[in-house]
Amino acid sequence: MLGPRQIRGIRMSDLVIEATGLRKEFRTRRGRHVVAVHDLDLAVPAGGVHGFLGPNGSGKTTTIRMLLGLARASRGEMRLFGQAVPRHLPDVMSRVGAVVEQPKFVPTFSGRKNLTLLARSIGLPKERVDSALAQVGLAGRDKERYRGYSLGMKQRLAIAATLLKNPDLLILDEPTNGLDPAGIRDIRTMIRELGESGVTVLLSSHILAEVQQVCDSVSIIGSGRLLASGKVDELVGSSGSTTRVGISDPTAAVGHLERAGYSVTRENGHLLVDGATRADEITRVLAAQELYVHELTPVRADLESVFLQLTKDDALKADLGAASGLDSQAGGAA
Amino acid sequence: MKLLRVELTRFRWRRAIVLMLVAGALLTAVIGGTTLWETRPVTAEDRAAAEAQAAAEAASPQFERELAACERRPRRYMGPGATAADCEQMMPQADWFLYRSELSLAEENRDSGIGVVFILAALMIIAGTTFAGADWASGSMSNQLLFEPRRARIWLAKAGAVFVGALGVSAVILTAFWVTLYLVAEARGISTGATVQEAIRWTAGRGVVLAAFGAVGGYALTMLLRHTVGTLAVMFAYAVGGEILIASLPVEGIGRWSLGNNVFAWLFDGHEYYDPSLPCVNNGPEYCNQMALISLADGAWYLGVMLLVLGGASFLLFRRRDIP
Repeated sequence: MLGPRQIRGIRMSDLVIEATGLRKEFRTRRGRHVVAVHDLDLAVPAGGVHGFLGPNGSGKTTTIRMLLGLARASRGEMRLFGQAVPRHLPDVMSRVGAVVEQPKFVPTFSGRKNLTLLARSIGLPKERVDSALAQVGLAGRDKERYRGYSLGMKQRLAIAATLLKNPDLLILDEPTNGLDPAGIRDIRTMIRELGESGVTVLLSSHILAEVQQVCDSVSIIGSGRLLASGKVDELVGSSGSTTRVGISDPTAAVGHLERAGYSVTRENGHLLVDGATRADEITRVLAAQELYVHELTPVRADLESVFLQLTKDDALKADLGAASGLDSQAGGAA
Repeated sequence: MKLLRVELTRFRWRRAIVLMLVAGALLTAVIGGTTLWETRPVTAEDRAAAEAQAAAEAASPQFERELAACERRPRRYMGPGATAADCEQMMPQADWFLYRSELSLAEENRDSGIGVVFILAALMIIAGTTFAGADWASGSMSNQLLFEPRRARIWLAKAGAVFVGALGVSAVILTAFWVTLYLVAEARGISTGATVQEAIRWTAGRGVVLAAFGAVGGYALTMLLRHTVGTLAVMFAYAVGGEILIASLPVEGIGRWSLGNNVFAWLFDGHEYYDPSLPCVNNGPEYCNQMALISLADGAWYLGVMLLVLGGASFLLFRRRDIP
C-alpha cells in the first residue's frame, strides 16, 4: 500500500494538485472546536481521472473548497499547477473547472442565461456556452428557468459551467448525485473521455464502484486524514493476498499452513489462506505433508474491501482518540 | 468593466429588483398624479358651486343674526374705528369655498418631492439588499468565485452595479416627476422662478445620491449578514426602536447622531430639530430653547462615515470569510 505523496512513477513536478499538511479548524455556533481536515497531504498527478474517496463527513468537500479558495486553510500549503494557492489562484483559475457540492445558479434565470453571465465575467465568447450546453445534452432545454430543472439537469448544467473554460483540471464533487442510471452512465463516460483527452479530473465521491470504474488513481481519506493513495490497481492488489484452496483433508491442511505462518479460515469446505505472496508457497507446504490441492484460486480484492479495511482502522483510531480525550474532528477522529 | 457589465445585467434581470423599480415608478406616478389633482385649476362649475354655497351661507338666519349684531356694535366685531359699513366684509365670499391651492413647485420641493425621494431611497435599499441576498440564498456566489476568484473585484463590481443601477433609476424617475410637474405648471400659466428651479435641482440631486448610496448600504449590510431577511430585520429593528434607543442614551446632544436627523439635514440642506438632551437656553421667561441644527455638510459627513465603516467591514469580511 502506498502512503501519502508516494504515487509510483509520478514526479512531484507532474502534480496538478499538491497539498501538504492541510488543516481546517473551525468553531461551531455552539463553540465546539472541530478539525474538519487533519494535516492532509494530497497529490494528484497530471492527466487521467483521480478519485478522492472517503465516507460522508471525511473532509473531501472541505479540502476541495480550500483548494478553490472558497474556504481558508487553517494551516498547510496548497499548489495548483505548481502555483501556491490561494495566493496565485487568479493565475490558475482559468485552467480549473469545478462543481462543489450541489449545483448553484440563479433560480430565476434560464440555464443559458446563467452560463452566459459566467462566461461573460471572464470574457469567454457566446459560442463556448453553446458548445458546453451541447456537450452535456442540455441544448434543447437551455432557455427554461433553472428553478424548473430536475436535479439531473442541474448537475448537467453545473458540469457545462465547468466546461466553459476548457479546463486542464476538472474538480467534480459527487457529480452523479441525483442522476438517473442513463445520466450516471453518460457523466461517467464523459469523465473518462475527459481524462483520456489529457484533462486531469479530480472526482470526489463516496461511491466505490464509481471510483473503481472511472479512476486511474485514488486518494482515500477518512476523518480528514489521508489513509492511502496510489493507482487503483496497485491499491487493490496491495490489500493483501488471499488464496482459495480446495483440498480433500482441510482439517489437516489448516494445522500445517498455520504452523507455516499463514492465516487460514474455512469457507464452505474451502480454505482461505492469507499472507502467501505466491500460490506455489502454499502447494510446497502442503505437498511436503503429502496433501495435494485440487483448487488454487487467488481471491482478488476490490476497492470496497480496501476502503472498508482502511476506514475501519480509521474509525478504530477515532474511537481511541475520543476515549483519550484528544481534539474532536468532523469524522470523530483525533 | 467586464464584471461591472455582468453585474448590471444580473441587477436588471432580477425579478425582485424589477418589481422594486416598477413599484418606485408607480408610487411616484401616484404621488405626482395626486399632487396635480389636488392643485387643479378652479373650473366654472367649481366657482358656480362656491358662489351658490356663499349665497346660501349669507342667507342663513345664523349669519343674518351675526351681521345684525355686527352692525349694532361694529367696533366689537371689526376692531377699533370700524363702522357698520365695515360689517359688509363679513359677507361670505365664493373664494372661501374654493379649498384648492394653486400648484407651487417651491412647496412641492419640500413636500411631495421629498416624499418621492424617501420612497425611492427605501425601494433602492431593498433592491440593493435583495441583489446581494439572492446570491447568498441561491449559493451562486461560490459559482461566481470559481470564475473570478478575486473577491475584492466581485464585491466592488456588485457594489458598482447597485450604485449605477439605483442612481440611474432614481434619476430617471425623479426627473420624470419634476418635468411632469413643471410642464403642468407651465400649462396652467404658473411660472417657476430660476431660484426655485435651482433648489429643485439640488434637492432632487441630493435625493438621487441618497437613494444610490442607500442601495449600496443595503448591499454592504447584506454582504456582511449574508441574508436578505437578516438585513431587513436589522433595518426594521432600527426603524422601530433604534432612534428611540439613541434618543434615550444619557449623552448631551445625542440627536446629532440620529440617522434620521442626518438624512433630513442632507435632504433639506440643513435640519433644525428638538433635542431634549441639550441644556436649556432661556430666551425669555418660561421659554426653554432646546433646538439644534445639523448643517448639510455635517449630515453629509455623518452619512459618508457610516457608509464607509459599513462598506469597509463588509468588504474586508467578504475577503476573509469562508464562502458557503
